[in-house]
Amino acid sequence: MMIAARRTVPLVLILLLASCAVVPSTPPRPEASSNPAVVALLDRVHSQAAAGELEQAGASLERALRIEPRNALLWQELARVRLDQGLYRQAESLAAKSNGFAAGDRTLRAENWRIIGQARSGQGDYRGAQTAFERAERE
Amino acid sequence: MKLYKFLRFGKKARRKKTTSNRRRLTKRKFLLAASLAVLLLAAMYIIYLDFTVRTRFEGRRFALPARVYARPLELYPGLKLKPAELVAELELLGYREAAASREPGSYRWRNQLVELVSRPFTYGDGAQEATSLRVTFGSDRVKALQRRADNSAIELLRLDPALIGGIYPGNNEDRVLVRRDEVPQLLVDALIAVEDVRFYAHRGIDPRGIARALVMTVSGKSVQGGSTLTQQLVKNFFLSAERTVRRKLNEMIMALLLEVHYSKEEILETYLNEVYLGQDGNRAIHGFGLASSFFFDKPLMQIDLAEAALLVGMLKGPAYYSPRRHPQRAQERRNLVLGEMAEAGFITDQQLLAGRITPLGVVERPPRGTSPYPAFLSLVHRQLRRDYRDEDLRSEGLQVFTTLDPWVQRSAESALGKQLQRLEQGRGIAADSLQGALLVTDTQNGEVQALVGGRDPRFEGFNRALDAHRPIGSLIKPVVFLTALQQPQSYTLATLLDDSPLLLQQPGTDDWQPQNYDKEFHGQVPLRMALARSYNVSTARLGLQLGVPSVLDNLRRLGVDHELPGYAASLLGADAFSPLEVAQIYQTLAGGGFRTPLRAIREVLTFDGLPLQRYPLAVEQVVDAPSSYLLVTALQDVVRQGTAQGLHRYLPAELGIAGKTGTTDDFRDSWFAGFSGDRLGVVWVGRDDNQPAGLTGASGAMTVWAEMMAGLALEPLILPVPDGIERVWIDPQSGLRSVAGCPDAVELPFVAGSAPAESAPCGPGFKGNSLKNWFERIFR
Repeated sequence: MMIAARRTVPLVLILLLASCAVVPSTPPRPEASSNPAVVALLDRVHSQAAAGELEQAGASLERALRIEPRNALLWQELARVRLDQGLYRQAESLAAKSNGFAAGDRTLRAENWRIIGQARSGQGDYRGAQTAFERAERE
Repeated sequence: MKLYKFLRFGKKARRKKTTSNRRRLTKRKFLLAASLAVLLLAAMYIIYLDFTVRTRFEGRRFALPARVYARPLELYPGLKLKPAELVAELELLGYREAAASREPGSYRWRNQLVELVSRPFTYGDGAQEATSLRVTFGSDRVKALQRRADNSAIELLRLDPALIGGIYPGNNEDRVLVRRDEVPQLLVDALIAVEDVRFYAHRGIDPRGIARALVMTVSGKSVQGGSTLTQQLVKNFFLSAERTVRRKLNEMIMALLLEVHYSKEEILETYLNEVYLGQDGNRAIHGFGLASSFFFDKPLMQIDLAEAALLVGMLKGPAYYSPRRHPQRAQERRNLVLGEMAEAGFITDQQLLAGRITPLGVVERPPRGTSPYPAFLSLVHRQLRRDYRDEDLRSEGLQVFTTLDPWVQRSAESALGKQLQRLEQGRGIAADSLQGALLVTDTQNGEVQALVGGRDPRFEGFNRALDAHRPIGSLIKPVVFLTALQQPQSYTLATLLDDSPLLLQQPGTDDWQPQNYDKEFHGQVPLRMALARSYNVSTARLGLQLGVPSVLDNLRRLGVDHELPGYAASLLGADAFSPLEVAQIYQTLAGGGFRTPLRAIREVLTFDGLPLQRYPLAVEQVVDAPSSYLLVTALQDVVRQGTAQGLHRYLPAELGIAGKTGTTDDFRDSWFAGFSGDRLGVVWVGRDDNQPAGLTGASGAMTVWAEMMAGLALEPLILPVPDGIERVWIDPQSGLRSVAGCPDAVELPFVAGSAPAESAPCGPGFKGNSLKNWFERIFR
C-alpha cells in the first residue's frame, strides 16, 4: 500500500506538472527556416506524422538536417517524432542536441525541456522528468 | 496427330507386301508400341531439356546481387555547388550531354546554367519523377531551380543515385549484372542490327535468318551467324567446343522452350549478362556490365555509341577482335557494326560518320575490381553482415543506399595519392614506400562520406582504414585533457601544468620516463598550451593525476568498444586503433559531446523497392556541453598556434578548424584528425612494414588532410556557446586573472565560477589599476 502510494503520488504530480507545462506551449513560431527546401521537407514531415508514418517523418527530418545540420528546430522535431515512436532515450538525446544549437531561443529550449521531461517519465524516471519540467518553466 | 497419319500411311505401304493377317496384326501392334515408345522418349527428352535450360536460366536470373548506391545529390537553391561539380555528378550518373536536353538522363551546360532532365527513381520514401529543369548558379551556389515547362520554382530535387557496386553471388565470380532498363538502347540496337535482326519477331529460331546467313556465307559477305540471340544464350549456358548436329538440334529445341517460358525482355536481359566477351588471365569476362568496366573502366550506363558498337562487334570472336591485342581489327569490326546499325535505321548517317572516327576509348590496363570504391564497399558489406545473411545479400537483389559522397571521395583519393608522392619526392623517401588511409564523415550525423583504404583506391585487398591498427600517439591527448576539463574546480584551460622531468617507477614494469618531442622540459605550462604544443611530459603527469582508468573510461564513452589494457603509456597513445575507430572518437568531439555511431548505410530496400530497414540517425550525449566546448576551443588553438599551424598554408584561418596531430616513436605513424563545422577527417600515413616513415603528424598526415579539405567547400566551425560558460581575461604566465590590454593577456572561456579569483600583477587586483577597472571589480 505504502509502496503503491509512493509510486503513484509522484506520478500524479508529474502528470499535473506535465499538463500545465504542455498546455500553454508553442505560440505561433516564425518561419522554421529561410531555406525553401527545408520548409518543403518540414511540410512533408508534418503530413507524414499526421498520417502516422513516423519512420518516414524521421527520414524526411534527416534529409532536412543534412541541409541545415545546425537548425535547432529540426533536431527538436526529430526528438518529437522519436518521442511519439516511444523511443524515449533517443527523444531525450535529440532534444538535448537541439538545446545545444538553440542558444538564445528560450521558447525552443523550453519545448526541448518538456520533451526531455516526457521522455524521462516515459522511461520511468519521474524525478528526472520533474527536474526537466522545472527547467522548462525557468526558460 | 501428324505422326499418327504417318503411321497409317506406313501401314498401307506394307499391306501390299504381307500376306498373313495375323502377322500383319502383330507387326502393327509392335509398330504402334514402338512409335509410342519413341514418342514417349522424345517427350521425356524434351521435358528433360526444358528442365535443364530453365534451371540454368532461373539460376542466372534470380541470383541478384545487392546493389549499392552512393548518396543521391539533393539540389536546392542555396546549395554550395558549382556548375562543373553538378556536371561531374551527372557524368557519374551517365547523363548525356545533348544540344537540347529532352530525354531523361540528358543535360546541357552553358556557363552558369545547366538544363537537365532527371531520371525517375524510387526511393524508400517514394518516387522521384523525371523532371525537366533549369539550374541557375550564382557565384558558388545554386541560385534557382525552375521547371522548364512553366518556369515554376522547385524547392528541392533529388537526383537518382550513382550505382557504386554490388555484392555478388559466388566467391570468385565477379559480374556486373545489369538490369534491362539500365542498358543503353544503343547497345541493344547494335546487338539486334548485327546478331539478330528479327529478334522481336521470331520464336527462338529464325529459319529466315538461317537461310540468309547461308546465302551470305556462300556469297562471302557474311556478318551474320544464323543463330538467334536466344540460341546464342543457350549456347553460352552449356559452353563446350563440340560442334555437332545433335548439339545444334538441342540448342534449337531449348531456344524454342525458353521463348515459351520467358518474355523477350527477360531473355535479352539474361543474354546481356551472360554472354562471353573476353578473357583476363584465368578470369572470363561474362556480360556487358563487366565488359564495360573491363574495357572502358566505366558503368555500362555511360558508354557511348562507338563503345557499344565495339563491344557488340567483339561477340563474333572475343579473342580475335580483342581491342587491346588487335586494335586495328577491332576498329574495323566496330565500324562494320556501325554500318549495320545505320542500315537498319538505328542511327543517322551523321552518327555513323562521327562514330567511325571515334577512338576506341579502351583503357590501357583493365581496372582491378568492379567497383570504383572497394574500400568503402567493404565497410558497407561489414555493416550489412550484422543484419543479413550473406547469401541474401548476394542473391535477393536488395537495394542498399549508402552515405558515400563521390565528390568527397574523389577529393580524398586524389589528395592521398598526390600528397604521398610529393612527400616521397620532397623528402628523399623511397618511391611507393609510404601508405595511407583516411575517412571523411559528417560532423553532425556521423555519415561516412569517403573512405580510402590505401594508396591505390581500386585495390580490393587490405583495407587500412578498417584493418590497420596502429598506435595513435598524441591523438589520445584530447581524451586526457577532456577528462581534466570535466573537473572544472581542479582544471581549466588556464591551469598551469608541470612539464618538468617525470620518472614513473612501478613494480614489475620498466621505468617510464616520457620525453617531449623537442627533448626539452618546459616547466610550468598552461593546460591549453600543453595540448596545443603537444607536450608529452605534462600530459603524462596530468593523466597520472587523473588516473589511467578514468581516462580510458572516457575513451570508451567517446566510442571505443574494445578492451584496453590501461598502461601509463596509454596516456601518450601507445595503444593501437584503426583510422575508423579514431574517426568514431573524434566524431563525438566534433558532434559537441554527442556520440553518433558512424554509418555507411541509410537504408535497405527490397528488390521491388519496399523499405526493409532503415539505419536512422542516433545520438547519445556522453560529454557535458561545457567540457566539450572548452576542449574543442583548445583543439582550435592547436591549429591557431600549436603543432598544426601549418594548416593555414592550405586553409583560411577563418574556418576555425579544430584538430590534433599525432606522431609515434621513431616516426612510424603520422596521424591527423580534424574537423570544420561540417566535416571530420582522419588521416593515417605510415609504412606497411611498420618501419620509420620519417614523418610527423604535421609533415605527413596533416598535409594530406589539408590537401583534401582544400578541395571541398568547408563550413567554418562556429561553436554555439553553451549555458554556464563565461569569458575571463587571463595572464598566461601565471594563470591568474588579468584584464584586456595587459601584456600577453588572453580571453579564455571557463565554466562559470571556475576562473581563478587571484589577480596577476597587471590584473584587476593590481594597485596600479585604473579607476575604471576598480569600479568594474566592485560591480562585478
